[in-house]
Amino acid sequence: MSNRINFWLIFSFLVPLLVAIPIVTVFLSFFETTGNYFDLLKDTLLLRYVSNSFILLSGVLFLTFVFGVIAAYFVSFYNFPGVNFFKWALILSFAVPAYIYAYSLVAFFENYGTAFTILTFFFGEGDYNKYIPKFDGLIGSIFSISFSLFGYVYVLTRASFIFQSHNLIEVGKNLGLSTKENFFKIILPSARPAIVVGLSLVAMETLSDFGTVDFFSISTLTTAIYNAWISFDDLATANQLSLVLLLFVLLLFIIENLSRKGAKYHQNSKGNKAIPKINLKGSISFFASFFCFTLFFCSFVFPVSQMTYWTIKFPKYFQDIDFWSLNINTILLVFLSSIFLITFSFMSNYGNRVSKSKLISYLSTFSISGYALPGIILAVAFITFISWFSDLLSSVFAFGGFKNVFIGSTLGLVIAYFVRFFSLSFNGIKSGYSKINNSIDENAYLLGYSKLKTFTNIHLPYLKTNILLVGVLIALEIIKELPITLILRPFNFETFATKAYSYAAQDLLEAAAFPSLCLIIWASVFILLISKYILSEK
Amino acid sequence: MFVSNALFANEVNVFSARHYDSDVQLYEKFTAKTGIKVNVVSGKDKALQKRIKEEGKDSKADIYITADAGRLGAFQAEGMFQKGASSAAIKKVVPAIFRSPYWVGIAKRARIIYYNPKTVNPSWNMSYEDLADPKYKGRVVIRKSSNIYNQSLVASLIKNNGEKKTAAWAKGMVNNFARKPTGNDRAQILAVAAGEADWAVANTYYLALMLSGSKGAEQQAAAKKVKPFFPNQDGRGTHMNISGGGILKHAPNKANAVKLLEFLLTPEAQQHIVNNTFEYPMIPGVKANKLIAQFGLDFKQDLKTKVSNYGKLQAKALKVMNEAGW
Repeated sequence: MSNRINFWLIFSFLVPLLVAIPIVTVFLSFFETTGNYFDLLKDTLLLRYVSNSFILLSGVLFLTFVFGVIAAYFVSFYNFPGVNFFKWALILSFAVPAYIYAYSLVAFFENYGTAFTILTFFFGEGDYNKYIPKFDGLIGSIFSISFSLFGYVYVLTRASFIFQSHNLIEVGKNLGLSTKENFFKIILPSARPAIVVGLSLVAMETLSDFGTVDFFSISTLTTAIYNAWISFDDLATANQLSLVLLLFVLLLFIIENLSRKGAKYHQNSKGNKAIPKINLKGSISFFASFFCFTLFFCSFVFPVSQMTYWTIKFPKYFQDIDFWSLNINTILLVFLSSIFLITFSFMSNYGNRVSKSKLISYLSTFSISGYALPGIILAVAFITFISWFSDLLSSVFAFGGFKNVFIGSTLGLVIAYFVRFFSLSFNGIKSGYSKINNSIDENAYLLGYSKLKTFTNIHLPYLKTNILLVGVLIALEIIKELPITLILRPFNFETFATKAYSYAAQDLLEAAAFPSLCLIIWASVFILLISKYILSEK
Repeated sequence: MFVSNALFANEVNVFSARHYDSDVQLYEKFTAKTGIKVNVVSGKDKALQKRIKEEGKDSKADIYITADAGRLGAFQAEGMFQKGASSAAIKKVVPAIFRSPYWVGIAKRARIIYYNPKTVNPSWNMSYEDLADPKYKGRVVIRKSSNIYNQSLVASLIKNNGEKKTAAWAKGMVNNFARKPTGNDRAQILAVAAGEADWAVANTYYLALMLSGSKGAEQQAAAKKVKPFFPNQDGRGTHMNISGGGILKHAPNKANAVKLLEFLLTPEAQQHIVNNTFEYPMIPGVKANKLIAQFGLDFKQDLKTKVSNYGKLQAKALKVMNEAGW
């Protein structure tokens, strides 16, 4: 018995260690030389980078809050035309990565772009360009990221509304509040923890975005770190900037964690009875439908239509794409990473549960911090660490090193994904575990079950749904993932994301349309697979 | 097993910051001809360089290909290339200015001025320097300072006019901007077509790409509203840049790498490149694509400013632009 405990203990130490590697690498690379980037930065650029990041973040948080909360409010409490459709259609926005949204936005609104074509088609030749609004730069980034991320706020807020123990609308009525007062005084505060969790996820994703801001050439803290570190070899500056970014993210983490605790408190639903919805009438009903439709249209129909239009209009780009190998690569990465992540998340969670050690619990919290590091920084940190470690070992033990095992290999990709998405996986399994009462374990031991048997015969079956959910969330992230794949991939290895990126990089967004569309279709399939669970009302 | 495979495999490994599909087709031709398999990883320039540097002597990469001479020069300065890129065969065909012992140009592009012939008419000797003239206030578009092509252009201005004059020029440019810099080179040309500006600075192949119809009928029509202009004909000539490659310090397949570079500089390969990417050929005897050739091929190229200067002066160029608020 004690052997097993040691195993869990050791294991619970190892995972956080692995995940901590990139962060530690970013901070410990002080021994390298300092470049001239900082002078440049401090004179002219730092303020711009920080303010860009700040504007981007504020804009995205504002829009995702408005989109997510209002949509959740309508579909949770009211009946209006299309409500059952919008309920799940709105989560399809998860299928469109922000950088692909950005491609669509530029393609549609640029001078002589798709909007121009449409206007010409209907109204004949004309000077339309100056009337078409331009969505590029910061505004374009804010819209792209908001439409692809508001789903977090929507899903979590909606769940919080659904799981309320009382019908909040009724409560408000009984208190004599108007609809508006009720929304601001009762409904919104009741969902606050869920909204904050959603917004902090949005914030972390926004800060770590690279594909979108790079496409719009917006300099943010993340691109500044990338430039300082990679373009200018100025590690001291990169470290200082990373520190700023990480402090930012750490703050978000703390807020998120505190809110999660709050959220649990509120989810004390009694009886699991669906709350009866109120039928909307007249202009309010129209507005609700219109709002949800516009959101669905902008977040999903618009990018999909733009990509479909191009795919049909420029069929010659079909032949350049090795469709099957892209599919196989995507499936391979999803499959390997999910198995790896889910297995380890289980073991970590179980280790936490059986050891009940505070230290291990802290370490686990630390190990989910990989999510906070932007993918592109993580990938470079991974390469730096592997090289350093391999060189160290080969100088001490005189053997050939193992860089090629980890850099430019599928294994390396899977490990980097592991570090990045362990938080997602760990928390997903954890939320399932928290519902299994500890007394169940005690009873199992009393019945003579070993720890392992308790795990396989009791926990695993109980957590089936969580495994499915986590697996699909990992799949979604990996299908959309760009910077890590781009830097760490093996020779002749493309995914839909890297293919779309490389066409976009050579200014052939038309050719990027087909891989983008495939990516969105794959992601949509996965979303539909779990929509039942995401939208569960029980 | 993996080691022995690597030792005996007849292959060459390319890290490329050029993303063209046509490059991959070219590698396939090379394989068909020589039996040498070409493996490719493409990606962002600096990230690829970082990976090569960190992999060190374990790196499998043989050739590094990128656009912009400055990048090649900077990577050379870090000691990442070995000599041998310019083999005897290559020296025979590639002009000295577009190669060094460490790297060789594969194709050329010019960074030129575009204008709206309905509103303005440049005099034959107009220069990049002239774009900062206050009389063009609010009529000039160009992309951001973070763009490497701009950094190389400004580096060449610093080399020729000095830092102080170039700083004043950059301020003048910013005063003349029709809008905050946004979008890629094609977006600048489109802005002139749409009447947002009279003047744009962009690379040559973007206009040809639009004229080819690859971007649809509307953009093809828009491209015809804009005229290319080759500046500085009265002086050093139009700013030229290259796409090029070099053999990496730890290349495991050096002989094959040399063969591939030599192949890329054969008339057959050059013809393929210029017809697909609309760049200028690097060797004599190959015709530029007709969409590019129609702009005129007898313009004076800046062969005086060594492209290796671009790398050395890019950081300064970025500083100058940033201080001007570019």
